[in-house]
Amino acid sequence: METWRFIDFGPVDIRNMMAMDEAILKGDGGNTFFFWTPKKSIILGFFQKAELELNLTNCKDYTITRRISGGGIAFSDDRGRQINYGVVETIGNELLPLDIIESYKQICGVIIDALIHYGLNAGFRPINDVVINTPYLNTGIRSKKISGNAQTRWEGKLLQNGTLLLDFDIKEMLRILNTPKEKFLDKKIASIEEGLTWLDRELGEKLDMEDIKDVMKRKFEERFHIKLKTGKLNAKEINITNSLLPKYYSHEWVFR
Amino acid sequence: MPFLKALNVESKTKQGIHKSKGGLIRSFVTVEKGNIKDIEISGDFFLFPEEALFKILEQLKGTQANREEIQKSIERIYEKERIQSPGTLPSDFTESIMKALEA
Repeated sequence: METWRFIDFGPVDIRNMMAMDEAILKGDGGNTFFFWTPKKSIILGFFQKAELELNLTNCKDYTITRRISGGGIAFSDDRGRQINYGVVETIGNELLPLDIIESYKQICGVIIDALIHYGLNAGFRPINDVVINTPYLNTGIRSKKISGNAQTRWEGKLLQNGTLLLDFDIKEMLRILNTPKEKFLDKKIASIEEGLTWLDRELGEKLDMEDIKDVMKRKFEERFHIKLKTGKLNAKEINITNSLLPKYYSHEWVFR
Repeated sequence: MPFLKALNVESKTKQGIHKSKGGLIRSFVTVEKGNIKDIEISGDFFLFPEEALFKILEQLKGTQANREEIQKSIERIYEKERIQSPGTLPSDFTESIMKALEA
């Protein structure tokens, strides 16, 4: 059975993490599945503008950077209950099709399989969301997003990043976003709670994050019919990372 | 009066917002003498390769500020750069820009 690399970067400064993320994509370390735990931070999508999206005066104690993939803000509060993952894989094979949405679906499947393992009715919502489906009234299904994902591609490989929310501070998110001041904050929070959810809330208990990561690892191995072996960045990746660090720390990149 | 409008050299940046299935597209457009003078696009959409968006913006500068020409410019770069943008079509960018022009 093929062996792919696994790395758990642990708690990390997201500027360093985004440099390593890009280095894994552009390096020669092979197919890799990795986790990290962001400190209090905001990651902008490639096409977003910080001053439009954020209430910058309220973001003073946040580390802010930008990633190389599109999509929306990835916000991490200081609760630290988020599992962030990255995947670098060659595309255009039977396990990972070239089609963008199909490839999202395949990798998001790892998260879905893990959530199903915990008894939740999880599913994929194109383009790039994992949702929890619950019966709603008598008529239908309500889908709440529990995981957001973003993908980019480079020379026959894809890089997908995503987050699985275990807990989430909606009030704090509203504070840092540049959303118009609402008169009824509770109402706003209630409406977000209808479209967004997190694992602790769905399960009614706080599971150990390491256990959930182990389940995800196992589901990843099953889905891609491979064995994960813990490794680290190689010399070339470290060189690329070092050359990329100034970008992720720069005002020009973050506030362009 | 169109004559007076044409003489008006003062240009102001206008904003348009359009939501595609792939995300929000914000356009900031400055028009001068009927042509796009300056344009910026931001949002939470996806587009590969990402840098191709800058090529779209370059192509749009100097383009006549009407729907047909804008759409043609965007489609040209989509083809040339083999752009893929899940949930977002060239016409979604055009729509966002038109909303700015009509703002």
